[in-house]
Amino acid sequence: MLMPPFTLHHPTSVEQACEIALQLMEDGQQFDWVAGGTDLIPNYKWHINTKPHVISLAKIEGANVISATEIGCMARLSDLTEANGAHPLIAEAASKVATSLIRRNATLGGNLCLDTRCFWFNQGEDWRRSIDWCLKADCGTGADCRVIPNQNTLCVATYQGDLAPNLMVLEAVVHIVGPSGEKQVPIGNFYQLDGKKKNILEAGEFLLKVTLPEESQQRTGCYQKLRVRDSWDFPEAGIAASWIAGDEKSLLIASTALESIPKMHDEQVSEVLEEGWTGAESVKSLSEAIQKSINPVNNTTLSTRYRKKMVRVLTKRAIEGFLR
Amino acid sequence: MSGGYKQQPGSEGNTTRKDGKRIAGKQSFPPPGSGGSRPIMAERDLQYIPEMAGGREKQPAGSHVHDSVRTGTAVGKSMKYVDSNAKVTGQAWYGDDVRLPNECIAKILRSPHHYAKIISIDTSKVEALPGVLAVATGKDSPNSFGVLPVTKDEHAMAVEKVRHVGDLVACVAAVDEATALHALSLFEVEYEELEPIFDPKKGLEDVDEPIHWRGKYHLAMTNVQKRVFQEFGDRSLIEKPSASNHNKWTMKGVHHGFTEPHAVVAHWDPNGRLQLYTPTQVPHYTHRALSTVLEVPMHQINVVRTFVGGGFGGKSDPFPHEMCAALLSRKCGRPVRITFDREEVYMINRGRHPSHIEVKMSADDQARITGFDIDALIDGGAFASFGHVTSYYNGVLATAPYELGSFHYTGARVWTNKPASGAMRGHGAVNTRCAVEVGLDQMAEDLSVDPIDLRLANLLPPHSKTISGFRITSNGMREALEKVRERSDWDNKFRQLPLGKGIGIGCGFFISGSGLPIHWDPNKFPHATVHIQVDMDGGVTVHSGAAEIGQGSTTAVAQVVAEVLALPIEMIHVRSHESDTSPVDLGSYSSRVTFMNANAAIRAAIGIRDKLLNAAWEMIGYHPDLLVLNDRRIYYKHDPSIGVSYLKALHKAQEDKGALISSGAYRSPPMGGVHKGAAAGLAPAYSFSAYVAETDVDIETGKIKCTNVWAAHDCGKALNPLAVKGQIIGSCHMGLGQVISEEMVYGRTGHLQNANLLEYKIPSVHEMPHVEPIIVESCDPEGPFGAKEAGEGPLLPILPAVVNSVYDAIGIRINDLPLTPDTVFFAIEKKMKALSIGDALELECPRLTHSAMQQVVVDRAAQHKVRDIARQRSDDTSPYVNGVLFGFDPNIPLEDQVEGWRAATEPLPEQLAELGFAGRAWLKKEQRQMGGEN
Repeated sequence: MLMPPFTLHHPTSVEQACEIALQLMEDGQQFDWVAGGTDLIPNYKWHINTKPHVISLAKIEGANVISATEIGCMARLSDLTEANGAHPLIAEAASKVATSLIRRNATLGGNLCLDTRCFWFNQGEDWRRSIDWCLKADCGTGADCRVIPNQNTLCVATYQGDLAPNLMVLEAVVHIVGPSGEKQVPIGNFYQLDGKKKNILEAGEFLLKVTLPEESQQRTGCYQKLRVRDSWDFPEAGIAASWIAGDEKSLLIASTALESIPKMHDEQVSEVLEEGWTGAESVKSLSEAIQKSINPVNNTTLSTRYRKKMVRVLTKRAIEGFLR
Repeated sequence: MSGGYKQQPGSEGNTTRKDGKRIAGKQSFPPPGSGGSRPIMAERDLQYIPEMAGGREKQPAGSHVHDSVRTGTAVGKSMKYVDSNAKVTGQAWYGDDVRLPNECIAKILRSPHHYAKIISIDTSKVEALPGVLAVATGKDSPNSFGVLPVTKDEHAMAVEKVRHVGDLVACVAAVDEATALHALSLFEVEYEELEPIFDPKKGLEDVDEPIHWRGKYHLAMTNVQKRVFQEFGDRSLIEKPSASNHNKWTMKGVHHGFTEPHAVVAHWDPNGRLQLYTPTQVPHYTHRALSTVLEVPMHQINVVRTFVGGGFGGKSDPFPHEMCAALLSRKCGRPVRITFDREEVYMINRGRHPSHIEVKMSADDQARITGFDIDALIDGGAFASFGHVTSYYNGVLATAPYELGSFHYTGARVWTNKPASGAMRGHGAVNTRCAVEVGLDQMAEDLSVDPIDLRLANLLPPHSKTISGFRITSNGMREALEKVRERSDWDNKFRQLPLGKGIGIGCGFFISGSGLPIHWDPNKFPHATVHIQVDMDGGVTVHSGAAEIGQGSTTAVAQVVAEVLALPIEMIHVRSHESDTSPVDLGSYSSRVTFMNANAAIRAAIGIRDKLLNAAWEMIGYHPDLLVLNDRRIYYKHDPSIGVSYLKALHKAQEDKGALISSGAYRSPPMGGVHKGAAAGLAPAYSFSAYVAETDVDIETGKIKCTNVWAAHDCGKALNPLAVKGQIIGSCHMGLGQVISEEMVYGRTGHLQNANLLEYKIPSVHEMPHVEPIIVESCDPEGPFGAKEAGEGPLLPILPAVVNSVYDAIGIRINDLPLTPDTVFFAIEKKMKALSIGDALELECPRLTHSAMQQVVVDRAAQHKVRDIARQRSDDTSPYVNGVLFGFDPNIPLEDQVEGWRAATEPLPEQLAELGFAGRAWLKKEQRQMGGEN
């Protein structure tokens, strides 16, 4: 399986990265960013939406920083698994991604910006040609989506990153860099529908790092991941929850792998808190509310109905994980 | 005190003179072929020599024909494979490692359609591309081939029509991979799409254009490739049963998932002979197929089997890509290499057939099994492969290990427009065995008896015949059941564990080599031949056709030769790679290699042994009957000091002759009935296994975790216990995958959706239970040193053991495989609804209170145990046929003593009213019966 040829750029600073990006954009050249490559390379091998240029972030000075309040885009998941100063919830989530071998290459930035997935899309070129392509990889044909048929405007590919909901319940802030400068966005606002757009990054922008507020260190949390095997597999559903011990008003819950973007469930939490927190009963209401608020589609391994039903179990277990 | 007996000739005495110079003619180092770093003969290892041959190894089955050639050297000892160093240092050469000078790369153009006629193929743009060296299409390969001579329905590339997405259409060889890939996009193929079918049930219906055409044998206008009917026994026994059950199973297709993708290198040497390098399980069948397709005599083809990175039935066919490489190489005059991507591995498939299996069983008031009624519809995909045989194995391999009152089987294999199913590890027996073993669990529950006791009371004994006429010789089923019962603490756990924890039993029965060859030409040809050559250096070269596919056949052959000749295994060199120098062996499938090749190797080694003993007789004056071979020495059995080294005896034997040569061949004895299909399922020996599995079920998510397995497998004799244990553990992993997560997923458009190792869910190390392998040795009278297979049989029991343990854990029977979390969860949800339970934690799991029948089965099992021990030791050699348990006389043909005894291979008209899926194939008439083709 051969990747199509591309030019790989290795900037050693943020400024240089932006320069290269700007230059390519001015030349009308498309490009992708790459961090660890564990998401990009398999897709390139299958000739999925490949570009003639790829800009690697691997050599950017300081991009792999890990501390309680700052994690760079190049921080390897294997290093995060060992905490090295990062919040234990992040270490727990990182340890559940893929396999130990893949975690040595995979990065925080790559996992947050993980391309959305769908079994009509994540296939080799011959297979996709055989089904006449699809909306997310139409090869210029304007092909329809294969999950929600007869339309080519809404892509429902699923976001299956593990780290995002955990950073959401730690109130992380995303730092974006691009030719037009820097901006910071709470991670809850980083993701954007649909399955093709994925997040708010515009052409030429990349995620440089996330920062976490000091208060996040007081939080304890738990991440429940639903998958077929205890290794390799992307989440079929994931629930992250955290609170500041004893204060149920601080409860934060986020989900992943159920829609095209990970979601925060502040609305469902505040609805249940309004009724007064009663422990087990409230946990039950909350899990049911969150279950109602998501709508998975049939483009992952396990059945949609099952993933939706498991949200209740995952939420219950995530909260029970620290409620004692 | 000299400390032992020296090995090397000619090194007696001093080799230096008083003045320090070397004595002329004397070496100061040992001559080649002598003791090397171990100059003193080792003591005879009596633990590994049978009692009847003067040693201390126990023989519960009595003497064995090979006892007299045991030397305690290698047999029964755990050792690493002789090729393991090459593998772990990365120096083993697999299909893709072959690099011939001036090679070029070829790629295959595959069909984007499920089913279509090929109207035209325009290759002009391909040929015009710089760097393209050769192009081929179906027109270049009109001759068909197939692994079975009765179903040669494959071509190197599609001729007339493509039959599944991924089917070969054309191929191109170019100077490098990138050019070859680019060339694929330049083919212009015009197709006329046809209506595909994906559901095997649709295969039973008439269509306009069946996927293949069987001429006068074709069933109406269906896609039925093969139908089977077998009925034996006294059908009246199933009337008024004390217990019966009826279950319909759906098993999804699974794939072998071997690490090494297919690859091939083809090269026509300067003399015009084809050298084909391929990781294959069946060099001989590939050899025949190449000859047919390329229209070249077999003696002008040399098939070179590279190291094989896993086969399991996925590399046991001659393949179209092998033909393509040879065709392209012939056209461009350069070596051509094809290596598959993982997706292409799934396209060629040959995995386990997706199956609909229906099993009815009944028992009488003595808890005897009065009937097994099996219907198996199997989805063959686009080609026949081994399917003709699979159609039989799905039924006939259920006629043991239990004694049955009657047996009824209807089977059918259909073509569909999907990658072809084939002979995956356990071939046809796995799915039916799972259904039968789970049915027995249900039967035991209905009778309120322990399922292990129910089995122990209904086993066929050693040296008996099944209801279908199979000859059973050694039989360790009883010992296997007793051992796993004890090791797992079964009696304290079964039906006593809390909700979410369960324990279950499952058994297996499998052939140790198919009794009849699939090619009858030439007739009476042996199944395996081994040649041994020993030259003056003393090293032993063994030429064997046995295909080493990682199962350890090379090591097994080396071990038995080392044993007979009493030589260290480092002195045995097995050459099995190429057909030019390896005598024909039929291939590594049906678990035949150890049984047949080791037997042939022993015969050849005995030939050398006899020559050595005769030479020693001349040298020391004692008759071979009075001589002992031990660690490179031959001596008088009553005085070890009177003897010669192996090398000296060898040189004596070689006087005037030079290198010694010996040939040994194996052919299974004639056996079996004469009814249609009687041959399918015949084997010179069978393996028996019993597994107990302990499983946790997460009642809220439906996720299954198998925690412990006690796995007892009767392999006759473990030539290499380490290897047998490895096969047991590996089989547990492969079988477990089929239960908990593996499935070839076909989506709504008919495409295979998970042709990759991420989405095809092979269990990881986290899913593996702790497995305790238990070796049972029933010492087969015809097996090499008593050995039988241990490659496929060990896979069968893990499925029912885990499925039964899930029932023990949650009290719900699910007749679908795989038991993915969502499948289990929805079954739990359904039960909760039926019982109006709100919380899964309130479910009840099954409990057992023994009925009066329990004592009946315990007593009968105890009687049978005495019977079986006597038969195993050959203290009782009376005939035993399936039916004795029901009071029939084994000395009179059953059809003569039992009114209404059936032995049929076609259904009676009245039986056509009530048929399962496969049975419906019998509603159709063959073309010749319809006045169609003649």
